[in-house]
Amino acid sequence: MSQTPLLDVRNLRTHFYTERGRVTAVDGVSFSMEPGEIVGIVGESGCGKSVMSQSIIRLLDYADDVSYEGEVRLGGENLLQLSNSRMRKIRGNLVSMVFQDPLTSLDPVYTVGDQIAESLRQHRRLSRREAREKALELLRMTGIPSPEQRLDEYPHQLSGGMQQRVMIAIALACEPQLLIADEPTTALDVTIQAQILELIVELNRKLGMGVLFITHDLGVVSEICTSVKVMYLGQIVEEMTTAQLFANPLHPYTQGLIRSIPRMDGDRRQKLHIIAGTVPSLNDKPQGCRFATRCPYADDKCRNEEPPIATAEEGHRLKCWYYEEISNGLREAVGHGD
Amino acid sequence: MELPQTKSQFVQLSRKLRKEQRLLSYFRLRTNYDLMIGAIILGVLILVAFIGPLLSPYDPYAMKVLDRLKPPSAAHWLGTDEFGRDLLTRVLYGARVSMSIGLTVTALSSLLGLIIGVYAAYYKSLDHILMRICDGLIAFPGILLAIALMATLGASATNVIIALTIVFTPSIARTIRSAALVVREQAYIEAIRAQGANNARIIWLHIVPNTLSPLLVQAAFVFAEAILSEAALSFLGAGIPAPSPSWGNILQASKPVISKAWWMVTFPGIALILSVLSLNMLGDGLRDFLDPRSKRRGNKKARRAAS
Repeated sequence: MSQTPLLDVRNLRTHFYTERGRVTAVDGVSFSMEPGEIVGIVGESGCGKSVMSQSIIRLLDYADDVSYEGEVRLGGENLLQLSNSRMRKIRGNLVSMVFQDPLTSLDPVYTVGDQIAESLRQHRRLSRREAREKALELLRMTGIPSPEQRLDEYPHQLSGGMQQRVMIAIALACEPQLLIADEPTTALDVTIQAQILELIVELNRKLGMGVLFITHDLGVVSEICTSVKVMYLGQIVEEMTTAQLFANPLHPYTQGLIRSIPRMDGDRRQKLHIIAGTVPSLNDKPQGCRFATRCPYADDKCRNEEPPIATAEEGHRLKCWYYEEISNGLREAVGHGD
Repeated sequence: MELPQTKSQFVQLSRKLRKEQRLLSYFRLRTNYDLMIGAIILGVLILVAFIGPLLSPYDPYAMKVLDRLKPPSAAHWLGTDEFGRDLLTRVLYGARVSMSIGLTVTALSSLLGLIIGVYAAYYKSLDHILMRICDGLIAFPGILLAIALMATLGASATNVIIALTIVFTPSIARTIRSAALVVREQAYIEAIRAQGANNARIIWLHIVPNTLSPLLVQAAFVFAEAILSEAALSFLGAGIPAPSPSWGNILQASKPVISKAWWMVTFPGIALILSVLSLNMLGDGLRDFLDPRSKRRGNKKARRAAS
C-alpha cells in the first residue's frame, strides 16, 4: 500500500434536514481505495450505501437540504470543499456514475449517440464529428451488437441490457479514474447481469480505473470485487478482502448476510436464514452498536456503548465488542436470530 | 416469426420492424378522428384566412348605401352589412385578423409560459414568486382582465395581443411547471447531472424537450380561447377598433339589426364556432396521440388495423 490512494474518504457524514429534524444517513464512513481496485459496498436497503456513493460526487446538493462533514479526497483535492463549477468539471470527467435502472436513466428524446457525445462535447470540447466517432468507439467497446446502427436509435428501441451498456459507454466517455456503479445489474436479468459484470471487470483491467461497486448481492461481490465494505445504518461495520468475507466473516451482521444466501447444496427442507427484524428508521438509531437491536449476541454493553473499530487481521477491520468470543464459539446467541 | 441468424437477416428484421412501427403510428394518426378532422378544418380556415381575401372581388371597407342589409344573393353570397359592405369579404378578412392574433398570442404565451414554467419547476425559490403571480392573474376572470388591460393600454391590434398574452401565459406556465416537476425527478436528469451538466444545460436541453408535448396540447386550447376572447373583446368594443373587419366587430354591428338581418349574426358566428371547435378537436386529438397511455376509440382501431 505504498501508492497514494485514488479515493480517500475520511469520517464522511451526510445529514438531511427534514421536517422531523436532522437525519444522518451516512454516519462517519472512512475508507480508501487504490487505483484499479474494485471495492464492493454491501448492505440492506436503507443502509446508506447509495447516499454514501452520491455524497462522494455531491449529487445530493440539488435534491434536498443536505450538509456534509468530513473529507472526500480524490487526487489530493477535497471534493466536499470545491466550488459547484469545479465540481461539475469532476463529475462525468474524473468520476462517473452508472445507475440502477437503465430503463429510466436515458433521456427519451435524444438518440444514444447524442447522449454519449454530450459529455464528450462538454468536458473534452470535441467537435460534433469527433464526438460521434468517439461515441461509436465507446459503444463498440461495450460490446453492443451492431453499434453503428445503435448510434442513431432512441433509448426505447433498446433492451435493458443494451441500455445499460449505453449507460456504461456514457460513464466511460471521458475515461474517469473512478467509476461508481450503484447497483448497475439489479434491474437486469441474470444472464445480462453476468455480461455487464464481465464488461465492468474487463474495462477495469483495460483502463485501470477504480470501481466502487454498490450492491446488495453477495454473489456479485464474490464475482468481481477485490475488497468489500459492509454497511449498516450509515456506518461501515466490517471491511475486508473478498476472500476473508466468505472464509471468515466476523461481524454478526455479515455472518447473517452470508447465511441468508440460498445455497444449491443446502438442505432444502430447512428454512432459509433471515436476520430478525428490519433496519431501524434513521430517526431512532440505537444508541450503542447500531446492530444491537437485531444482533443475536447483543447485551447491555452493546446497547449502550458504540464499539470502536477493531483490527482482526491485516486488512480486516470491524465494529463489534465480542467478535473474538463469537468466532471462538464462546458466546451464545440470546434471543433474536434464527 | 423466425429469429435472425446472420447479420444481414438481423438488419433486415430491424428494418421491417421499423417499417411496421411507422405504419402503426400512421394508422394511429389516421384513425384519430378528432385530430384529423380538427386539423383539416383548421387547415382550411388558415388557408382561407390568408388567401381568401385575395379571391374576393370586393373591398372590405367600400360602402354602398343602396345595398344596405341585403340578404344572401348571387352577387353577395353572404349578404351585406349595415353599410352595404360585402359580408363574405368581411368574414374572410376577419378570419385573417382572428387567425393572426390567435397565432401570435399562442406563440408568445407559449414561449413565456414555457420559460416561467420550467424555471419555476427547477428553482424552488423562484417557484413561490412566479406561481403566486400566476395565481393572481388566474384569479381574475380572463375576459375581465383583458378588458381592464385594454382600457389601460388603449384599443389597437398590438394591445389586444399584449393583453391576451398576459391573460393566457399563466395557464401555460402552470401546465409546463407540473410537467417539468415530473421530468425534473426522472432518473435521467440525475444521470445527466452525474455527468457534470450545469443547470442551464439540464433545463434547456433536457427538461424543455420533455415538456413539449403537453405544451403542444395546451397551445391548441389557448389558440381556441384566444380567438374567442379576441372576438369577445371586439364585440364589447374593447378590441380591434371599428372599421377593421373582425368577427367580433361584425357580430357587434349585427346586434341592432339581429331581427332583420339573420345573416349578419349567423355567418361570422359559424366561422367562430368552426375555428374554436376545430382547435378543441385538434387539442383533444393531439393529447390522445402524444400520450400513448390514453386509450381511446381511435387507438383501439389503430391496433386492430395494424395487427
